[in-house]
Amino acid sequence: MSAVVTTQLAERRSSLLVTVLAFAAPVIFVLVPLAIFLVYSFFSVDQGTIVYAPTLGNYVRFFTDPIFLPVFWNTIVLCVSVAVICILLAYPAAYFLTTLRGRWRYALLMLLLVPLLMSYVIKIYAIRSILGLNGFLNKALVAIGILQQPSTLFVFNMNAILLTLSLLLIPFAILPIFLSLERIPQTLLRASDDLGASGLQTFLRITLPLSLPGVASAASFVFVLAIGDFLTPQMVGGTSGFTFGRILYSQFGTAYNWPFGAALSVALAIVVICAILIGERFGRSRGTSV
Amino acid sequence: MNQNPDLLTLRSVSKSYGTVAVLHDIDLSIRDGEFLTVLGPSGSGKTTVLRLIGGLEPLTTGDIRLDGQDISRMPINKRPFNTVFQDYALFPHMTVSGNVGYGLSVRHVQRKEIARRVAEALELVQLGRFADRFPAQLSGGQRQRVALARALICRPRLILLDEPLAALDLELRRQMQEFLKSIQREIKTTFLFVTHDQEEAIGMADRICVMQAGHIRQLGTPHELYYKPNCEFVARFFGENNLVAGKLGPVQGEQRPIETALGRLICSITDQPHLKAAPEGASAFAAFRPEALHLADATDGDNRFSGIIADLAFAGSSTVATIKAGADNAAQRLRLRTPSRIGGSALRSGETVALSFAPHEGHLVLA
Ligand SMILES: Nc1ncnc2c1ncn2[C@@H]1O[C@H](COP(=O)(O)OP(=O)(O)O)[C@@H](O)[C@H]1O
Ligand SMILES: [Mg+2]
Repeated sequence: MSAVVTTQLAERRSSLLVTVLAFAAPVIFVLVPLAIFLVYSFFSVDQGTIVYAPTLGNYVRFFTDPIFLPVFWNTIVLCVSVAVICILLAYPAAYFLTTLRGRWRYALLMLLLVPLLMSYVIKIYAIRSILGLNGFLNKALVAIGILQQPSTLFVFNMNAILLTLSLLLIPFAILPIFLSLERIPQTLLRASDDLGASGLQTFLRITLPLSLPGVASAASFVFVLAIGDFLTPQMVGGTSGFTFGRILYSQFGTAYNWPFGAALSVALAIVVICAILIGERFGRSRGTSV
Repeated sequence: MNQNPDLLTLRSVSKSYGTVAVLHDIDLSIRDGEFLTVLGPSGSGKTTVLRLIGGLEPLTTGDIRLDGQDISRMPINKRPFNTVFQDYALFPHMTVSGNVGYGLSVRHVQRKEIARRVAEALELVQLGRFADRFPAQLSGGQRQRVALARALICRPRLILLDEPLAALDLELRRQMQEFLKSIQREIKTTFLFVTHDQEEAIGMADRICVMQAGHIRQLGTPHELYYKPNCEFVARFFGENNLVAGKLGPVQGEQRPIETALGRLICSITDQPHLKAAPEGASAFAAFRPEALHLADATDGDNRFSGIIADLAFAGSSTVATIKAGADNAAQRLRLRTPSRIGGSALRSGETVALSFAPHEGHLVLA
C-alpha cells in the first residue's frame, strides 16, 4: 500500500521535474537574459564603469537625441521593405514549386533552401562582389545597355543593405509560403473552375486568400531576421548605410556603453515582439477544415 | 415512359491514364430532366465518367455532345454543368452565402441579384438561417446541402454528384436521398448521380447505368434491371438472385427452356430478342429472385425440383432459407425468401422439400 503511494509520488515528482525543465529551459535561456538587459537598461556608465543606480537617462537619451529615433524608424522601414521584396520574389517561386509534380517539387525546394546551409559571411562576401562597382550586376546592366557606366546606386549604402538582406532572407520566405500553398486542397481549385471561374479568378479568390497565413508568417520571419542583423549592414552598408543594429552593436563594442545598448535592445525587442504577434495574428488561418 | 430528348450524349468515349485503359468505348445518353444514376463497384470508372463530362479530365477518344454540339474540348469553366464533390469542397474562407454565390459573382452578376438568388437557393436547401456561418461551423449534412445549393444556383443544364452521401450516416443518408429527389423534381434539372450503393440507386433513379471494369453493362429503369438483367454481372450485382447454369433449349413462343442441374427450367423471354436469337445449346443461366421461389404444391407442374433446407435466417419482415438442391442435394445453393409469420416459419431446417417458381418469374441471362 505505502509502496504504491511512494511509487506514485515518485512518478508524480519525476513528471513534475520534466515539466519544470520544459519551462525552465526557455526561462533560463531566453527570459533571464532579456530580464538582465531590461535591468541593465536602467543603469548608466561613468568613465567606462557601470553605475548600478536606477535611472531613466538611457531612455530619455533615446527619445530626445536627434540621431536615434530617425535611425530606428529608417531601419524599421528598411526591414519592412526587405520583407515586402522577399514576399514578392518568394511568392511566385513558391507558387511555381507547387505546380511541379512529385519528386521535382521537393528537389527544387531543397535546391532553393541550400543557401541556408552556407556560411552567412561567405554569402555576404559573394553578394558584395555581385553588387560592387565592378560587380556582376553593374557589368550586366551596362552590357544590356540600361546603364551607360557602372553606377554607385547600390554600392556601400542603404540600397546595398536592402538588396543583400533580401537575397539572404528569401529562402525564409519561400518555405512558409510554399507550405501554405501546398496545404490548399486541389479539389477547392477544381470546384472553383467548375463554378465558372477563370484561372485568374481562382487564383485571386481561392489560392491567394488561403495562402495569406503563410505570407504573414514569411513576412514576420523575414522582418525579425532583418532587424536583428547587424553584420550585413556592417559589411555592405559603408558609411551611409547606418542601421539601428549597427548603433546597437557599437554600444557594446567601440562606445562601450552597455546600459545604453541594453536600452536600445529593449526598444528593438519590443518591435520584434510586435512583429511576431502581428504575424501570428494573421498567420492563423480562419476556417481550415473543408 | 420518358420521351424527353437527349441532353448529353457520350459516343465511344474511352479514357486511358498512360497505358492503363480505365474506360472502354462508353456510349451513354442522358435525357433532359431525368435522374440518372451511375452504379458500379469501386474502381469501375464511375468517377472518371463524371470527370470527363464535367471537364476535369480530357477524353482519350470519342466525343461528348450537348444538344448535339461537340463539347469534348470545351474548358471546364465554360461548361454549363456543376459538380457536387464527394468531399463537398466548400471554400473554408467564405461564409455559406459566399460559397453559394461564388458561381454568380465570378460571372459578374449584380450584387443585388446575387443576394436574391443566394437567399432563394438557401431557402430551397433549408439553410436560410446559416447564411453567415463558415463551413467549419456546419454539420456534414448541412455542408452537403451548401454544396448542392452552390451547384444549382448557376442553373446548370446538368448537376453531377459523385457519391455525395457516402460520408453521411445511415439515417441522414435516407433523409438526404429523399431531399435530393424532391429538389430534383422541384427544379427539374438533370441529375447525374454516382453511387456504389444499389439500394440508393433503386430508390432514387429514373434510370440506372450499371458499370463494371470500365464498361457500361446495362442501362435501364430500376425495374428493368431488377427483372431483366442482361448479363451475369448485373444479375448478381443487382439485388439477391438465384443463378443456375445450363444450356438453352428451343424457343417456345415467349418462353425458352434451359437444361440445368435442377432439370429443365422454363423461363420467360418476353421483350428480350437477344435471348430469342441465341443458338440452342448456348451456355446461359436461369435467374429467379428469392421471393419468386416457393414450396411447390400440386398445381405447380413446371420448374419443379427438390432441395434440402440448409439454413433459416429470420430477417424481420421476411425469412430467408438457404437451400441445397441439384445432384445429391449439394450441387446448387439457392435462396428462398418468404414473409415472416408470427407463429414461426413453416420451413424446418434439414427438411427435404419440393420447390418451384413460375415460368414468368424466371429469366435467362447469357453466360
Ligand atoms: N489519375 C489517375 N491515374 C491513374 N489511374 C486512375 C486515375 N484515376 C482513376 N484511375 C483508375 O481508374 C479506375 C477507375 O477509377 P474511378 O473512376 O475513380 O472509379 P470509381 O469512381 O468507380 O470507384 C480505377 O482503377 C483507378 O485506379
Ligand atoms: Mg469514385
